[in-house]
Amino acid sequence: MHFDLTTATIDPIPLRQALLHQTAGAYCSYEGWVRDHNIGRSVQQLEYLAYPQLAPAVGTELLQEAKEKFAIESAALVHRIGLLAIGDLAVWVGVTAPHREASFLACRYLIDQAKYRLPIWKKEHYPDGSWAWIENSLTPSASASTRQVTT
Amino acid sequence: MHIKILYFAQLAELAQKTEETRSLKVGDTVASLYAELQQTYNFPHELTHIQVALNHQLSAHQASLQSGDTLAFLPPMAGG
Repeated sequence: MHFDLTTATIDPIPLRQALLHQTAGAYCSYEGWVRDHNIGRSVQQLEYLAYPQLAPAVGTELLQEAKEKFAIESAALVHRIGLLAIGDLAVWVGVTAPHREASFLACRYLIDQAKYRLPIWKKEHYPDGSWAWIENSLTPSASASTRQVTT
Repeated sequence: MHIKILYFAQLAELAQKTEETRSLKVGDTVASLYAELQQTYNFPHELTHIQVALNHQLSAHQASLQSGDTLAFLPPMAGG
């Protein structure tokens, strides 16, 4: 089980390699990328901010929950923080299991829980210089609180 | 008696700081402190939409506060 917050580019290859196990017949991964739009609005870049003293404990708890809920071998969750460009890999989840069903379910569980429970916040920056903090717990149309950059 | 308060994301922007130390009065609670801060900084969230961490551990809103504690107010999260 491996959780990490990083400001560096996430490289899935060694993360996947670290999950390989002789008892695992299935591997499932999820990659969350920075896209160029949200709710019909162009997005220039994303900024992720974390609570570094808390996030590792929550991330480890999520991985433990996945292990308890599903018949998996191992799992890893890595989230990038800082300023990210369009196309950058923001979050990576990998799960290995003896069989595919558990790997699918655990991977889905981990990314779903991570979006709401990891103490990480996402700020969208728009081409006109404004920005909005995004809240996953609200409907997208009600979640953006846009503020104009004053500098 | 003092308490250190941490702000994140939109709350930090509105407060124009990521942390501050405030005096802690007898009888102060997470709710009473947040109500005070909400009024000072125009925080848009009700406390029911805010999670709190006490000394860097997720905590109930009913947690008792002590001098020297670090209390973090966490607006709705948005990983991924």
